[in-house]
Amino acid sequence: MKLGSCSVVGAIIGSQFKFTSAFAESDIKDLPDNFSGDIRTHCGLCVNKCGMIARVNNGTIRKLDPILDHPKSKGMLCAKGNAGIQTVYDPDRLKYPMIRVGKRGEGKWRRATWDEALTYIADKLTEIKEKYGPESVLFSSTEGFQEEYFTHFAEAFGSPNTVRHPTLCLASVNNAMFNTFGTVPHFDLKNSDYVIFAGSNRLESLLTPDTIDMIDGKAAGHYHVVLDPRFTVTASKANLWVPIKPGTDLAFALALIHMMIKENKYDKAFVEKYTHGFDKLAAHVKDYTPEWAAHETGIPVETIYKVGKDFMSSLPRSVFYSGRRGSWTENDTQFRRAIAIVNAISGAWDREGGVVPARKIGLGEMLIFPPDEPEAERIDNVKNEFPLANRRDGVYLTLREHALREDPYPLKAWMIYKQNPLQSVPNSQKTYEMMKKMELIVSIDIIPNDTAWESDVMLPEATYLERTDPLHSLAGLEPVVALRQKVIEPMYETRPNLDIMKDLAGKLDLGEYFDFDIDQWLDAQVEELPIDLDELKRRGFYSDDKGKIFGKTLKEGYRFRTKTGKIELFSERFAEKGYDPLPIYTKPKNIPSGSYILLTARCANYTHSSLQNNEWLMAVGMHSMAHVNPIAAKKHDIGMGETIILRSPYGEVELPVYITDRVHEDVICIPHGFGHTSKGLSLAYNKGARGSDLLGSYHDKITGNAAMHEDFVQIIPKRTLHTEKIQGDKRKTRVESGGITG
Amino acid sequence: MSETKKYGMLIEQSRCINCKACMIACQAENNVPLHKHRNWIEESEVRGTYPNLGLDFTPNQCNHCDNPHCERVCPTGATFINDDGIVLINYDSCIGCRFCMMACPYDARYVDKERGVVDKCTYCTQRIYQGREPACLETCPGKVRTFGDLNDPKSEISLKIATHRTEVKYPETGTKPRIYYIID
Repeated sequence: MKLGSCSVVGAIIGSQFKFTSAFAESDIKDLPDNFSGDIRTHCGLCVNKCGMIARVNNGTIRKLDPILDHPKSKGMLCAKGNAGIQTVYDPDRLKYPMIRVGKRGEGKWRRATWDEALTYIADKLTEIKEKYGPESVLFSSTEGFQEEYFTHFAEAFGSPNTVRHPTLCLASVNNAMFNTFGTVPHFDLKNSDYVIFAGSNRLESLLTPDTIDMIDGKAAGHYHVVLDPRFTVTASKANLWVPIKPGTDLAFALALIHMMIKENKYDKAFVEKYTHGFDKLAAHVKDYTPEWAAHETGIPVETIYKVGKDFMSSLPRSVFYSGRRGSWTENDTQFRRAIAIVNAISGAWDREGGVVPARKIGLGEMLIFPPDEPEAERIDNVKNEFPLANRRDGVYLTLREHALREDPYPLKAWMIYKQNPLQSVPNSQKTYEMMKKMELIVSIDIIPNDTAWESDVMLPEATYLERTDPLHSLAGLEPVVALRQKVIEPMYETRPNLDIMKDLAGKLDLGEYFDFDIDQWLDAQVEELPIDLDELKRRGFYSDDKGKIFGKTLKEGYRFRTKTGKIELFSERFAEKGYDPLPIYTKPKNIPSGSYILLTARCANYTHSSLQNNEWLMAVGMHSMAHVNPIAAKKHDIGMGETIILRSPYGEVELPVYITDRVHEDVICIPHGFGHTSKGLSLAYNKGARGSDLLGSYHDKITGNAAMHEDFVQIIPKRTLHTEKIQGDKRKTRVESGGITG
Repeated sequence: MSETKKYGMLIEQSRCINCKACMIACQAENNVPLHKHRNWIEESEVRGTYPNLGLDFTPNQCNHCDNPHCERVCPTGATFINDDGIVLINYDSCIGCRFCMMACPYDARYVDKERGVVDKCTYCTQRIYQGREPACLETCPGKVRTFGDLNDPKSEISLKIATHRTEVKYPETGTKPRIYYIID
């Protein structure tokens, strides 16, 4: 933007950058291009938002260090966070607005000015709006500190069709927790003596502060049990790894409830005072015996008894961790409900070492001109098809089905912010089909991801280190207000999303909805805090220093935000909407002969399908290989490193085999986020396989959340050795093992 | 710095989750070339067969030995032991001959082609002499490492070594390494 043209202002004292009031003047807001100093900000490479200090030298980011006393990230910064420098200085970044000149996906682009690109988009949007109505424009986005401006734009434009990432993520967990406790609680893992993790791979899918609390807790002698068909890092660190048949975790959870009730180990006083529907629950789980569960899950019955006994003897400091990420099966919300019920009758609710409602620090609000409610109904018909789902988040897979059928109206334009649907939405073929229906596709991103590459216009956003974002209050047991402030000026012609939205709104005569700038926004937000903006900029975050507070919901007269005002073991809302009010087990589908259950894995070095183009991370992270058990490999007579084809009814991919005992013999596991089709990603392009090419469109029945473990694949050996050179310093990073993280 | 200091490190490998934050933090902090690393995490072979399995992760780096083979073989004297026990390299004297790489039993050194020298972990001298911790330690989610003065019996590292069973790597090579690993 203004590289090289900014005036030098601001006092530099030692290595601390001091914000002076002069920065309020709009003409000298930019950082000097030779700025040197430390700026406290927050990472933006995943959902965690870890506090960090950017060490800037002469306008270049030299190092990102963790903020040591940050209440959420607790002084850590993971590999991704540290490699953020490479994301900013990635030569493949989107640098200028680009307008497609060839066919879609052909990769022929011309550089355009912002004015030209935004005028192009505005003209198209106006045309489509006039012809088909504003509802024919789809707005899809992923969480981020500037996402709210994107959804605000969608509302101002008049489209009801915003679809966000939760239905590719934790919608089922949230729904189950909310419909039991009236809130989505957090887990005090730091103080839980006994924790059961069902498939939740918290040591590879890092979450602050849970990951750190787990490591500390384990070192302090806590007992961790991991149910998983894969021997993950989390499983390897657990006291007890319980291999389980995929898709049967609900049987285990129900048997645990059965044991707690049968052996009278649940917290009777708590259940009586705070919960609703215990008698129905007791009758419901009567036949869900450990013997039955052993048969369903493949877990030896003695193990189920042992876990049950140990869990009960550690009460109330025992918890069943709820997990996050996408649904596994079509019955996922019910499985998470069973976890919630375990935690509800155990007496661990709202106590130290238990399951605790999160706190949040209040922020002031920028009063902006509110758009009218959109006139049209949502295309995905969430109201009727998923009455308990979050309407503004939408339901991704269902929305795509409606769009393909043009039911009840067609979608003609697709605005995408910070999202890569071709990678992240199962069944990429259908996504391609949906794209064909669009007269305009616009991607706002920092790199040309697969979907951006298939778009008509790519708009380059400034990265999280080049922009100042609105404040975000992060809920938790120790809540924090996170400030992200720019540490360098935006490179090339990149711009913060707010500026992009604002200018586009201006061109569409919607300027009144964006009649503010980021400074006004921050000023309004900081109003409610006991410190001012200058102080906040120095600290980088605000914490009320009250630490963990327990027992607020146990006080006399507290009303839980459920229908009955109590913790609902028996969900009245589910009953009302026609869902099973108590979780009923459904058997997983039988594995067709010669097929395998497809599992997808996360790795601590990438955030889903992003960061594979980061050369530091790619040099140490997991590579795309099919993890196959030796028994299965023998059956197909395939050897380590041999290329195979994985085929599902929805597509096929080719990738090398990694033979390992770390997966169950009925399972094939592939890491998520590879097989990028965008030639704009010079490092990640065409490396390995894309899971969305194999996955179908299964979804959880209650939330519509994409169910990722309902698919089967076949192995077709190619009888050739994999020849792609795996990059990396083999000696030290051991990337030749292919699956550092299983 | 005082002459009586001797820096060392203690590694609690049971806390390591192989997330590689230390590797990338070091890469950034010390401008380590792509595909080279001053520290790395060794992943053991998977022990056993499904479902009886075991797996370990071991963080590795220069052991800053009391009797460093790399120092003895260096033809130019570029490698030296600093007063505080840290094995360092005088980059002006280093001719990049790689003798040290051959001599080191820990495989801790690499060639920095751009600078024409052999390089390795320095315990982040640029940070520790300013009272900060080495980058690998600071960024770690599990806080696997403890760094400090082995000569000070009251330092955190000395207290931990005094109260835990520890081992060093390849003691038989006579290097007298100063990175200690806690035995579970």
